[in-house]
Amino acid sequence: MPTREIAIALTDVDKRFGGLRAVKNVSLEVRAGERVSMIGTNGAGKSTLFNLIAGVFPVSAGSVSMFGSVVTKQNTAKRARNGLARTFQTSRLFEQLTAEENVFIALGGRGLGWRSLFPARSIERKWNRVAELLTTVGLSSESGRRVADLSHGEQRQLELAMALAADPKILMLDEPAAGFSPAERQQLVKMLTTLPSEITLLLIEHDMDIALQVADRVIVMHDGSKILEGTPDEIRASQVVRDIYLGGGHA
Amino acid sequence: MSSSKQTSAHSGTWKRWVTTQNVVVAVVIVLGVIFPLVVDRPRFWLPNIGVRTLWMGTIAMSLVFLNKYVGLLSLAQMTFAGICSYGIGYFSVTMGLPIIPSIILSLGVGSLAGYITALIAVRTKAIYFMMITLALSQVFYSWASQAIEVTNARRGIAPIPRPNLGFIDLNDITTFYYFALFLAVLSYVIFRYTAKSQFGLAIQGIKDSPERMSALGYNVNRYRTAALTLAAFVASIGGVILVFDRNQVDPSFVSLDSTLNILVVAVVGGIGSLGGVFIGGLVFALLQNFAQDFTDRYMTLTGLVFIGVLLFFPAGLVGLGPIIRRLFSKRAKTSASKASSDTPTVERRAGTHNKKGQHK
Repeated sequence: MPTREIAIALTDVDKRFGGLRAVKNVSLEVRAGERVSMIGTNGAGKSTLFNLIAGVFPVSAGSVSMFGSVVTKQNTAKRARNGLARTFQTSRLFEQLTAEENVFIALGGRGLGWRSLFPARSIERKWNRVAELLTTVGLSSESGRRVADLSHGEQRQLELAMALAADPKILMLDEPAAGFSPAERQQLVKMLTTLPSEITLLLIEHDMDIALQVADRVIVMHDGSKILEGTPDEIRASQVVRDIYLGGGHA
Repeated sequence: MSSSKQTSAHSGTWKRWVTTQNVVVAVVIVLGVIFPLVVDRPRFWLPNIGVRTLWMGTIAMSLVFLNKYVGLLSLAQMTFAGICSYGIGYFSVTMGLPIIPSIILSLGVGSLAGYITALIAVRTKAIYFMMITLALSQVFYSWASQAIEVTNARRGIAPIPRPNLGFIDLNDITTFYYFALFLAVLSYVIFRYTAKSQFGLAIQGIKDSPERMSALGYNVNRYRTAALTLAAFVASIGGVILVFDRNQVDPSFVSLDSTLNILVVAVVGGIGSLGGVFIGGLVFALLQNFAQDFTDRYMTLTGLVFIGVLLFFPAGLVGLGPIIRRLFSKRAKTSASKASSDTPTVERRAGTHNKKGQHK
């Protein structure tokens, strides 16, 4: 297999919130098209690391690169325009708008020009794409419903559709299966494993089945540090991981 | 299942248009058009109630637009209107420019004021945004009260006669009223159109979740700046009506009192409804003109009306619509449940089903 370019690179990244050191000296590389799961207990620093990659928080030390360019100083919107899409641990949707309007906004998200004054309803091409994306995540029957009226699981599905709408090069999903029923979980795994191979996927997931089924490589975080990295089989066999999750001495 | 979907889609086509908002708009426009024909003393009613309602409503509507679609409460809208009024006075009277270029330039100056305010305030939100807009409006008030070469200080610029625009003569009060009505409806159409545009969807997204909009690649502050500039443009349209209503411009246009009056108009009409502000404007204009007939303390009466609306109709007087509708549907529900006690509860909740039940 030819060596693919590095999509995300973190070098000695640190994040402090006052006295709390939430991320400690983390370095990692994710290659383009790779599927990487990040696991760890609550408070391990996974979501903070996500926010550092997305540009929500500035790093306290270290650097972040995307496709070879240093983006440490870039804001969230700039990183998004360079191909990074993400979902949030708790849904952050536009509650007063319908499901399809939410996806429409996710499709449109670029410059502010005269075209943005065109009536939203008149752009059929975009609405077709909206319908496609809602079908992909299994929400086509709910397209006209207000987001505030959707169930938690449906809102998570909508989050996914919105992240996919941007045709991302890097897709970061923060606990996408939270609140899903077993059937919805299976649907999610199927969807993630059939994503186009050029999309780089970075996933935080507490459901080990999903995290290990989807990933080529797994990164284990604990107490702000990266403590282990390996294939799903290596992680399954790891005593360290068992200790962390079952509380056997390591913590 | 498909047949029920078809039925709901069919009823949806007309139902989509019969919303509380659209009913209020239709009623307000019809009342606005027939107003000069039904009042007994047009020379009193048209300027003091009609035109005043329209400029207050237009300016308050720009405040409601920002609050409803962008989630920002701006207390500078009256100031933008006042800046436009000052512009018309300065360009047409002090500089002697023709009236139409003066109006166009002044609309530009009012909008520019909105843009500059946005550059300063747009990174803040909630109470901080409100306080910055209030502070900026007070800065302008203070400047306008002293800048004798530009604003003629406290005496203001007068007279600013209503012009003959060539195709219409605004000296005729009925013509001027319809001109003001046209501008108010135009402002409303601008906002409704904007809300349905891609830009409108984006600013509503920013209101709900700015973090998510950033993560989608939107430049949140640029969108907020554009929305505030647009709202300042519409407030300036209100300023055009205002200056020709008063035939002058002075610092009282941009005083704290005037700023708060616009906020009261917006809240009384309904801070969540673009069309409702004109009801708020009308109530306010009526109180200003007639409260003195009942009491010397007419400001107290205005305050009491304001408190009453806040307590009983938090959504403003427009909120009366749904309340009345619920009352009617409650009555219909009672009679429908008497008619057929075995109708499922879910069906009885919907107004249309009640009617069907009654007909049966």
